[in-house]
Amino acid sequence: MSTTKAPEAAPPETPPETPARKKNHQPHLRRNLPGYLMLLPFLALFAAFLVWPLLNSLYLAFTDFNGIKPPGFVGFDNFERLWTDDARFRKALGNTVMYVIASVTLTTLLALALALAFRTTSLRDKTMRTIFFLPSVTSSMALFLIWGWIFDVEDFGLANTVLGWFGGDSVAWLSTPELAVPILVFISVWGGAGYGMIIFVAGLNAIPEELYEQAEIDGASTFRQFWHITLPLLRPVTTYVLVTSLIGAFQVFEAVYIVFRTTASNVGGILDSALMIVPYLYDMGFGKFELGFASAVAWTLFIIIFIVSTVQLRLTRTLKDL
Amino acid sequence: MATRQRRAPWGGLARVPLYLLAVTMLAPFWWMVIGAFKPVPELSKNPPSFLPADPSVDNFHDSVWEPGKQIAGHVAGVFQRWPELPGGYFRFMANSLVVTTAVTVGSLLLASMAAYALTKMEIKGRRIIFLVVLASMMVPWQVSLIPNYLIVRNLGWLDSYQGYIVPALAKAFVLFFLVQYMRSIPDELVHAGRVDGAGEFRIWWRIVLPLLRPALAAMAIFIALAEWNNFLWPLIIINDDSFANLPVALSRLSTSVAQNPQGMGVVMAASLLTSLPTVIFFFVFQKHFTKGITLSGIKG
Repeated sequence: MSTTKAPEAAPPETPPETPARKKNHQPHLRRNLPGYLMLLPFLALFAAFLVWPLLNSLYLAFTDFNGIKPPGFVGFDNFERLWTDDARFRKALGNTVMYVIASVTLTTLLALALALAFRTTSLRDKTMRTIFFLPSVTSSMALFLIWGWIFDVEDFGLANTVLGWFGGDSVAWLSTPELAVPILVFISVWGGAGYGMIIFVAGLNAIPEELYEQAEIDGASTFRQFWHITLPLLRPVTTYVLVTSLIGAFQVFEAVYIVFRTTASNVGGILDSALMIVPYLYDMGFGKFELGFASAVAWTLFIIIFIVSTVQLRLTRTLKDL
Repeated sequence: MATRQRRAPWGGLARVPLYLLAVTMLAPFWWMVIGAFKPVPELSKNPPSFLPADPSVDNFHDSVWEPGKQIAGHVAGVFQRWPELPGGYFRFMANSLVVTTAVTVGSLLLASMAAYALTKMEIKGRRIIFLVVLASMMVPWQVSLIPNYLIVRNLGWLDSYQGYIVPALAKAFVLFFLVQYMRSIPDELVHAGRVDGAGEFRIWWRIVLPLLRPALAAMAIFIALAEWNNFLWPLIIINDDSFANLPVALSRLSTSVAQNPQGMGVVMAASLLTSLPTVIFFFVFQKHFTKGITLSGIKG
């Protein structure tokens, strides 16, 4: 996301001649030793728990490692199996793609609508913003447990009770395969819109008031103002919200695990109807201990996220040039 | 402000669905709170009650319940579960608190030290270091999950605090954010410190850290919330209840009462206890929350 943006207003890279530097002519290392020492703890842990694991997982993806006997090299077997011969992975991928598209689109639209409606500092707007932001500060585990209970199969579950008010028959929410992804999308939009809203509000309030005043003088309608001023100027913020929620959505795990797990060994709900990529990774890695294969799943996830977010950034840039 | 409001492409009427939505937002919270205070028989009532007819704290501590006995309408409350664990539920709270504090403070110290070295000192290869850190932010953390599990297992850190804390200390996005922020601190301040004969550690601690406070506060909130909610990692490395954090304990609790509506009150009580600290934290530091999101959202 931010990686492709050049860091703005970076100071000149060459440090100015300092009085201290002119004074002492100690060798570079001696003079900057404290700097290296200050960098060391971060870099050491970064290398040990991030860089090395990344490379290691790339290696493991090409092995049949099962956690016990030493990994044996199997070439592209894991990836081949994943893409040609694995119905569960296809299911997980399909579910994830549907989930990501629906959840990101709806979350962003709702977030923008909320920001437009409740952007001022009035008590009403502040209250509404707090209400919509509440899920972002509540333990996500607690939220998923509550949702699991709301979608209880019994008639006295909240969802079925509300349905009953409108004369509907009780639905077995969590065990109807067709409903699994929609329910997950619903929960994620419910939980995520408030966060996007806060970012959109900041973006909206950063748009210079004069632009609207000028447009008003020129007789532009509210809609035209929105279309020609608000939306274009919000584009960087929109991109940020889109890309971050996209990356987050691809990594969905907890909601699936908590709301849909039926038995200790099942992570994806009835007929894998709620199975997504990360739950599948968890299941293969830590349920079945096929660590080599699970590493291949992990790298596949990385590649997918990388491609999608790059395409998305390209797309936004192309749109900007139009 | 009133003039601005007029320009939104919504009339007052268009806002009505959003108010209805706000009710939907609050409903689950309400459901949790009343669920936590419903006595066991009321939990499976049909139609359900929207205000507990007979509110009780049985789901937290049921005085009628006795270990080993089946008494209709009574189950062990949250504080009565895990009898073999000293402190019971409070043990998980303490675990979450210890881990969250350690990760937040530790990662901020490490990242701000590194950011200081990278921006205010001459470090050979700092461009490459920064580039690698940036690039690593593109990688979903689940990719390093399996190797990290193997490392922690080989170190003998499964079921330990260091298993939570040490792998979580070097956070790329925190370094990135602090470097961006640190660039706005004038170099002259640092030079002045050097002229006065202060060592680099002293300058970092005494001059730079106080100036970084807004950025540190923003990051602290992010890190603390994420760590408080951390689930997948402890799910993998924690087997022993005495090291479980709140999310893992909650998940195990819900598994143990699965399929039994009578136990849901206890789960809701535990959920309430888990959510309260962060919600209170939010209301106390509300300004920092929104500022933190916008700071990192707009600048990052």
